[in-house]
Amino acid sequence: MTSQAFYEELQGVLKKYPVKQSAVLEALYILQRDKNYLSDEDIHTAAEALEMTVTEVQAIVGFYSLFRRQPTGKYLIQVCTDLPCALRGADAFYRRLCERLGLPPEGGTTADGLFTVEEVVCLAACDRAPVAQINLQYFEHLTDQAMDAVIARLREQG
Amino acid sequence: MDVTLTIDNREVTVPAGTLIVEAARRIGIEIPVFCYHPKMLPVGMCRMCLVTVGLPVVNRETGRPEVDAAGQRVIRWLPKPVTACTEPVSEGMVVITDSAQVAADRKGILEFLLTSHPLDCPICDKGGECPLQDLTYRHSPGVSRFDIASKYHAAKAYPLGDLIVLDRERCILCARCTRFQQEIADDPVLAIENRGRDAMIVSYSEPAFNSHYSGNTTDICPVGALTTRDFRFHARPWELEHTASVCNHCGVGCNIVLDTRLGRIVRVMPRQNELVNEVWICDKGRFAHHFHASSQRLTVPLMRQGGRMVEVSWDEALQHVATRLRAICEQHGAEAIGGIAGARLPNEDLYLFQKLLRQVIGTPNVDYRVGLSAGFEDDIVAEVGVACGTDLGRVGCGTAILVLGSDLDEEAPILYLRVAGAARHGATLINAGGRATKLDQRATHVLRYRYGSATHLVLGLLHVVLHETNEQGRALTGNEIVPGRVRGLAELRAHVSEWTPERVATISGVPAEAIRAAAHAFAAAQNGIIIYGGEAGNHPALRRAIANLAIVTGFVGRPNNGVIAVLAHANSRGAEDLGIVPHRLPGYAPAERHGLNATEMVQGGVRALLVAGADPFAISARQVNLEFLVVQELFMSATAQQADVVLPAVAPGERSGSYTNLERRVQYFHPALLPPGMARPDWSILRHLAVLLGAGGWDYATPAAVFEEMARTIPLYANMSYERLTQPVEISRHMAHYIYAGMSYQSEAYEGLQWPTLAEQAMHTFVLEWQAPPPDPPTRGVVLVAPRVLYDGGTLLGQTQLLASHVVTSHVAVSPQDAAVWGLADGQRVRVAVCAREIALPCRVNPALPTGVIAIPRNLANNVAEMLLGEGQLFSPAGLIVEKQQGS
Ligand code: SF4
Ligand code: SF4
Ligand code: FES
Ligand code: FES
Repeated sequence: MTSQAFYEELQGVLKKYPVKQSAVLEALYILQRDKNYLSDEDIHTAAEALEMTVTEVQAIVGFYSLFRRQPTGKYLIQVCTDLPCALRGADAFYRRLCERLGLPPEGGTTADGLFTVEEVVCLAACDRAPVAQINLQYFEHLTDQAMDAVIARLREQG
Repeated sequence: MDVTLTIDNREVTVPAGTLIVEAARRIGIEIPVFCYHPKMLPVGMCRMCLVTVGLPVVNRETGRPEVDAAGQRVIRWLPKPVTACTEPVSEGMVVITDSAQVAADRKGILEFLLTSHPLDCPICDKGGECPLQDLTYRHSPGVSRFDIASKYHAAKAYPLGDLIVLDRERCILCARCTRFQQEIADDPVLAIENRGRDAMIVSYSEPAFNSHYSGNTTDICPVGALTTRDFRFHARPWELEHTASVCNHCGVGCNIVLDTRLGRIVRVMPRQNELVNEVWICDKGRFAHHFHASSQRLTVPLMRQGGRMVEVSWDEALQHVATRLRAICEQHGAEAIGGIAGARLPNEDLYLFQKLLRQVIGTPNVDYRVGLSAGFEDDIVAEVGVACGTDLGRVGCGTAILVLGSDLDEEAPILYLRVAGAARHGATLINAGGRATKLDQRATHVLRYRYGSATHLVLGLLHVVLHETNEQGRALTGNEIVPGRVRGLAELRAHVSEWTPERVATISGVPAEAIRAAAHAFAAAQNGIIIYGGEAGNHPALRRAIANLAIVTGFVGRPNNGVIAVLAHANSRGAEDLGIVPHRLPGYAPAERHGLNATEMVQGGVRALLVAGADPFAISARQVNLEFLVVQELFMSATAQQADVVLPAVAPGERSGSYTNLERRVQYFHPALLPPGMARPDWSILRHLAVLLGAGGWDYATPAAVFEEMARTIPLYANMSYERLTQPVEISRHMAHYIYAGMSYQSEAYEGLQWPTLAEQAMHTFVLEWQAPPPDPPTRGVVLVAPRVLYDGGTLLGQTQLLASHVVTSHVAVSPQDAAVWGLADGQRVRVAVCAREIALPCRVNPALPTGVIAIPRNLANNVAEMLLGEGQLFSPAGLIVEKQQGS
């Protein structure tokens, strides 16, 4: 997105907040929207636009798993392996998923650039584990078969 | 309102709102903490301070506490432990800190913390004064149930900036460092990135960890995660000797401890003084101590013989000086002799300096103001300075602070923290200056005036105060001004009537409404403080206008009211007090005979010149046109190189003495080191010289003896003695426990003494004199200003290698608008010419500057600003030429 387009959109966003800095999440979301990750330049743009230090902006980016600093595959598959989910087998589920996609056990991006798989902490759906978030959508009570079906469907969509 | 509660079966009464941890401290019960720090908002991050809390059960119908059959209050225990650092006390609360349950909680927290801690105490700088180490000894289980093989590992020596190193394994994520940077330093350049096990302290600013206050984070870090490059691996804390001292780098006068080992300073730590620096110091004060141990120090008296400087004995050197001075005096009269002393010299030395010149030699030519500060003085604080008992650390709502023409973050860093802190606590802060400064972010009113119009701006404020009423129709003048004590009010009112905000707006560029709003806000406060500095200019009318504003608003003579002048050096205030100016004697008594000022002396007004701790010839590459020049110095300065006799002096850490800070607080410092070689303290050199010149009664054996005479003869210092200056501070005002201030030992704490202003005398009459302002500054053309920066090209600072990359290099700062017009980009060379002087410097585009203003910081290498502006000029006269240098 061009910086002019960003600033224009930001103007509308800023109206909703009492102080500029409060708009940081939304500003970062806008910057990330088109390409699915935030470049160094994006971080600087947000810091400058909101009068924050780069350090402050980066700390916020680091805190939320929604924000990414590296390009990802078209579909970002995030699987919670935190303790409650692990008790329901999510960690093993995760490792098997990586294996079937031909990825190392800690996850990564498939060679075709279609999928990025990663472990995350609590997705707030512990009672429906194993659970995966694919881009912005939740998939719950997952089994290997159910997951394969989802993957196949996404592959078809390309 | 007070609240009574019980902690471990002991009753304690504290003000409502007090936190449990603080209430416990009052009765000597120490609740262990890591993240809590009394100077910052509590966050409850580390859980170390868990305690059991019970609240009295209240009968809903009667509203009274329920009692049981035995007449005891019924207590309902909270189901979970509570963090004592976040929980305020309440009436009838019961707190237990010494039960088996609490002990188990502490064990659990420590066991958990240590799963990610390397326990490398033997090689950790904090070892021996580490809260984690001590609390582990006291409260931990001793053996961990966690698997050592799965211990967390992370970066061991991560450079957070070039001064501070982070050990990520040792960090317990208490966020003291990040909160300090955010809440107190106003430089939010540290943060915690990521979550859970991945969380870590980071700094992405450029340069990294860019803050004048970074060293403080190493003091308050409760573990060895943050260390300074200066102290890292240089000594173990238990090997250090501690000497109470006072920082000599600026007028704030921060209290410090010189930690020495084997006769060298290895570390400078803040020493608590709630009235000056609380528990902080800036990085200049912390790191720029290396001049003491510099190999460049002068150690032997030198005399010019046949064009060469040769080493001589003290006797020979001083005899020669005495003989030459006597000869010149006999031949040309005493007025052919003059003296320039630096404002870094302690009071005792300055006092003897002027006494030697005025009384022994008999010349009125005495000055301390050289370079751009030539002619700069403050003569209003003696009347309307902040009253005794002022504590900027405790002001907030109800107080208004007007900062005029000073960039505190650069000129007086710890004063910045205190003023910003006051604003954080609700004070009205008006920041008036010619350019944007860091303080703007805390200001409630920002007034950006055209350089040269500060006086007009103050007249505009005075106009509003004297001619307008508030919303209730009441006058804006202070109720405190007793009509009988103020003269000239009607005349002043008449004089300022033409200085309407509208008229001032056209001259200063500050919108009339902004002037009005600031004046109303200032006058509406109960307490008012005016802090003014060099960028406001140095016109007598400015000082008069500031004093008048303080008087008519009633902001004089009471604690937390009055004026502070931000003078340049550690003892500039002392130099003013002690009459190191040609027109005033010690104690602000006017001199009968006015002498020559430093500029006149340097430009050939005298034949012989005595210079102590000053470098007047650094600035003008001018021919030294003197028959005889004597210099007392630490280093072979530009002036010393021209001298006939050079006398090696001792540095502050090698002697005792006193400085008077910019709030007029006189503070004593102890000697920590032996002087190098044959160096002697300046006061002692002056004493010997006086004796050789035949003076009687100059038998001072120590600075104490000099100070006694000062107290006896100068009314301002009347009630002072070293003993009183070093009165131990009552323990309730003293919290420098190592957990909060980073030292294993309890440092000595004194508060020094302020001398009272005239306004504090009940019988004093204020005279509201009128002085016409200087001519309006031009509204067009370019003006050159020379702001002060913390890391300048000074000789003392230059001896600290660690700060070398922080020293500001010569450049000219240009606003983005002007840069666009002149076609300039960062780094390109600009030619700046004024009158017949010109220079080419690299450009730095600086958005803090308004259009039409260029800035070259003063006192940089080669004294570029001084060269262009000339003595005593704060802004360029008209006719400045700025252009891109051809071929760049
Ligand atoms: S570096 Fe020190 S002060 Fe900062 S969070 Fe870690 S332990 Fe706390
Ligand atoms: S603020 Fe001034 S007195 Fe305080 S430590 Fe810094 S230089 Fe020294
Ligand atoms: S722990 Fe996995 S969703 Fe909450
Ligand atoms: S939680 Fe209370 S001191 Fe950290």
